[in-house]
Amino acid sequence: MTDTTTRSKPAGGGALLAAALALPGVVPSVAQAQVTVPNATLVQFKYLYYKDYQPSGDRMKVSSPALYMLAPITDEWVFEIGAVSDSISGASPYYHTVLSGASGRGIEDNRTAADVTVTKYFGGRTAVSLRAAYSTEDDYKSRAFGLTVRHASSDQNTTLTFGFGQSNDDVFPTDGPQFTATKKTTDYIIGVTQVLSPNDVGQANLYYAKQKGYLTDPYKAFWGIDNRPDTRDQWAAMFRWNHFFEGADASLRSSYRYYSDDWKVKAHTVQFEWAQALHDGWTLTPSLRYTTQSAAEFYYDPVYDPLLGAPFPPGYLANPNGIYTSDQRLSAFGALTPGVKVAKAFGKGWLVDAKAEYYEQRSNWRIGGEGSPGLETFKAQMYQVGVSKKF
Amino acid sequence: MKRLLLLACLVASAGCSTVQPWEKGNLAKPEMAFGEDVLDARFMDHTYFSKEGASGGAGVGGGGCGCN
Repeated sequence: MTDTTTRSKPAGGGALLAAALALPGVVPSVAQAQVTVPNATLVQFKYLYYKDYQPSGDRMKVSSPALYMLAPITDEWVFEIGAVSDSISGASPYYHTVLSGASGRGIEDNRTAADVTVTKYFGGRTAVSLRAAYSTEDDYKSRAFGLTVRHASSDQNTTLTFGFGQSNDDVFPTDGPQFTATKKTTDYIIGVTQVLSPNDVGQANLYYAKQKGYLTDPYKAFWGIDNRPDTRDQWAAMFRWNHFFEGADASLRSSYRYYSDDWKVKAHTVQFEWAQALHDGWTLTPSLRYTTQSAAEFYYDPVYDPLLGAPFPPGYLANPNGIYTSDQRLSAFGALTPGVKVAKAFGKGWLVDAKAEYYEQRSNWRIGGEGSPGLETFKAQMYQVGVSKKF
Repeated sequence: MKRLLLLACLVASAGCSTVQPWEKGNLAKPEMAFGEDVLDARFMDHTYFSKEGASGGAGVGGGGCGCN
């Protein structure tokens, strides 16, 4: 570990901190409601602009164009490809909400990711999907695959889903001590999707992930204090329910997720989206998401050692190799995301949409316990515009 | 976890198989599907994954990122 002199160095190669806060590599394939072969090719383009900030200063800005294509090649084989490129700039915290980049030096990083999914349909009721994904950043590389099997009952009212995935990642920080470390994530899902009525469909998923390897944030470890366990067991139970209101010509999409891991983070997340059909192909969808989480057991509040001062936790000298984090993401908080999306369907399969969301994370918005004290409120704005075409 | 499994089984065996194919017009609407807007869902998963402690639940085979 580095000594206090090294730790108090001013902001240097912050470029790497950017990577530490970069948006994640690739997201999982999504569980579907029924097992039916898509009958149209879909090409979708979307652009995301994201920025976050705290009272003491602006943090990250992300500009992110993304492409997705789904193509039924035959009536049994379907291909999907996705690609995204993120340009990230700004500042990220050394510890707690103390920002890097205070010296005025810019932080920049880029991420490029792509994924391919091939699905084979058997007898119109079973689908087997194989997915491969690759993501690369200046200081991070991820290779992932996933296998998902879906099987529907003969009436297509019940669909069972089983999935297995693995991700092999390399972490190679470009600031501070140079090294390459590895991280491996294995995840599993089992789910059921059930048609409940002509206007209701529900889904229940159980999810488990095991992470092994280097789970520490290398930049927070160098500039602040961060030393995490080298394994993490994560559980999630997700319930989704979509209801169609015939009188209003609107759909209410509701979801609830319970999350728990062996770092003692427990979270409850609810989300509601009201998709209101309007005249002339317009759809207006207001949405609201709320989440509350407890802190990881090794998260320490911004109360520092009386002798060493920030960023050292009290008693650090007695246990310098202890497990610690000052990462706000592992603190206790509540967060709200109100949003609205507008979509307009044109003829010949064209769809254009735009979405705006606001995110605010506060320790005193936590429900079910105390929020972590002494942290600044964290805010973000997200804007998406998209266009898609079905052939 | 056992209780959750039980709940999942109950949902599955609720067996509301009374819904016939010709009654599924509303269910076939794009907005009644789970995760219909793929890129929107990916963007939001990205964002929450990198700003919060909890993740997962919708699928497998995602990759990691340098946002730990």
